[in-house]
Amino acid sequence: MAFVATRYAARTVGRNLRRTVLSIVGIAIGCVLALFMESLNRGKGELIARAGASGGVGHLRVVPEGWRERRDVRLRLADWQADLAAARAEPGVVLATSRARAQVLLAMGTHVVPVEMVGVEPALEPKTFRYVQAMAEGRYLRDGDPGGVVVGRAIADRLSAGVDDEIVATAMGKGGEIQSAMFRIVGIVATGSEDADATICQVARPDLERFLGVPGAGEVTIIVSDYRRIDAIRAALLPKLAPGDDVVTLSDLTPEIEGHLAQDAATARVISAIILLIVLLGVASAQLAAVLERRREFAVLSALGMSGTRMVRLIVEEALMLGVAGALVALAIGLPLVWRFARGGLDFGRYLGGSYSFAGVLLEPVIYGDFGWWIAPYVFVVSIAATTVASLYPAWYAARTDPAVALRVAQ
Amino acid sequence: MSSIVRARGLTKAFGAGSQQVWALRGVDLDVGAGEFLALVGPSGSGKTTLLNLLGALDAPTGGELLVLDRPVASLSKRERARLRLMSIGFVFQAYNLVPVLTARENVEFVLELQGMGGGRRGRAAEILRELGLGDLADRRINELSGGQQQRVAVARAVAARPAIVLADEPTANLDGENAETLMHLMRDLRDRHGMTFIFSTHDPRVVAHAVRVVTLVDGRVARDEPKPGEAPHEILSASGVLHAAPGG
Repeated sequence: MAFVATRYAARTVGRNLRRTVLSIVGIAIGCVLALFMESLNRGKGELIARAGASGGVGHLRVVPEGWRERRDVRLRLADWQADLAAARAEPGVVLATSRARAQVLLAMGTHVVPVEMVGVEPALEPKTFRYVQAMAEGRYLRDGDPGGVVVGRAIADRLSAGVDDEIVATAMGKGGEIQSAMFRIVGIVATGSEDADATICQVARPDLERFLGVPGAGEVTIIVSDYRRIDAIRAALLPKLAPGDDVVTLSDLTPEIEGHLAQDAATARVISAIILLIVLLGVASAQLAAVLERRREFAVLSALGMSGTRMVRLIVEEALMLGVAGALVALAIGLPLVWRFARGGLDFGRYLGGSYSFAGVLLEPVIYGDFGWWIAPYVFVVSIAATTVASLYPAWYAARTDPAVALRVAQ
Repeated sequence: MSSIVRARGLTKAFGAGSQQVWALRGVDLDVGAGEFLALVGPSGSGKTTLLNLLGALDAPTGGELLVLDRPVASLSKRERARLRLMSIGFVFQAYNLVPVLTARENVEFVLELQGMGGGRRGRAAEILRELGLGDLADRRINELSGGQQQRVAVARAVAARPAIVLADEPTANLDGENAETLMHLMRDLRDRHGMTFIFSTHDPRVVAHAVRVVTLVDGRVARDEPKPGEAPHEILSASGVLHAAPGG
């Protein structure tokens, strides 16, 4: 059997139905907005993971010793084949592919373009960098088809080159001497982002090895099945690599994006806090009005010996009931909304174009909200915390009621 | 008979400086256990102020006031609340019941505040039966008549068997029959449980039941009749009450 105080609190909540309903709706709207922002923030984690999976970065990358400090593309793995085999054998790894990079100068006729040339495994690369699947002209690289190069539209335009044109690549070789090689453009990629198109220059990795005279791969790019396990897989893989080789994570590879999204998340949380503060003030105002209306009642309770602490508890209990009701309404409104957001996503493509690059990484401009078990506890905690905080001042005000003064005024 | 209330030179002022108004100007009063005492006097004579002090609702400005041997002036707000909760019951002119609770819940609430455990529901039902409200225990307050509401208020005041019950104009809103019934019930409770009843009143029917009548005039005790020889109307006429408006 509930305490009389609890029944009293519950019936008081229902005393002024219009005010109670308005308070609950206010709390619910605030919670839904906060929920939407939180879902968006959490969805941005997935956005980065998607960039890793399809934008060429990878979720994890095996790199040579010293790469973390120097980020020098001329560095090569101690034993890339052993590293590749270890990565492919690791549970949770969906795909692993080797790459090598070099700073080169592409030239055709009187046109030159400096670019980072990437030696890839032609059969696997489109699975880690899905934008090269959409060729604007020509085709992608093939195994056993030496001398081919795929470039982005921006590079082709700067060179005034087209498919089947031959271009000269010049780079620094193993001993510091200048090396040159001729490549034939087999395909031109148009990602939708000119910045990204200006960075795409891919050849088969054996071609790059021959061109530079430097054997081996400079990295093994890894895609995992669950991006939330990136750190766990890194920890498991690290001891299985060739001595000296290291594994870096997506966060290590894209610190600018992480920082940018963290800043976005902080801004979104500040906005949520402002929304909740406005809701909180509204609820506090309604609660205070309710307390003022019941001043005589509180005076009588005080005269009967109810302590200030118990009075605070009574009003906080009333607020808790409003909070629970607000949370239930928020879930009823918010769950379908966030579900829809998580399924369909928010497409910023019309404002940013088909793709968007940030810090050289291609991002698909669609953000999907996160939908999970966290939603119910989140809504309840936000709603109950907001209403409890909102009730503190009215509760303190009620607890200060001087019974003699209040009863004299009432008379 | 031992004193459960002792006042010496009791004063109470409201406001400050030139705005200061003296409601009590030096009251001397001793009340023994089990008394059935009426406070009478014209409006503004200080009856309600004195009741508030005796009930530890307010602190005196000067003088000495002991309630159940506790010096009210030096008690903190928390201690005064505790004293009220454990030892003093209140009956108000306007009943002042909690409207969203039933009659039984109103009574039970005080017992709950006192920290009483499982037996409070039974105790509340028992006292309501004692006051002839057994059948109405589960009615909401707005479903009860004025007389019934005031009886619930009395039940709430006496449920925890306080040493003192203070009633401010308890019959002011009741018709003659209900007023008579209420006074009989209060006398009966006093006789059976030995509680001390102190009530302010303008009502001759109430004065008729009093065993002792204290008349206040201008914040001082003008008369103190342990067993009034005069008829209630004569006492009230002598103190100017029958020519004055209620309140005070």
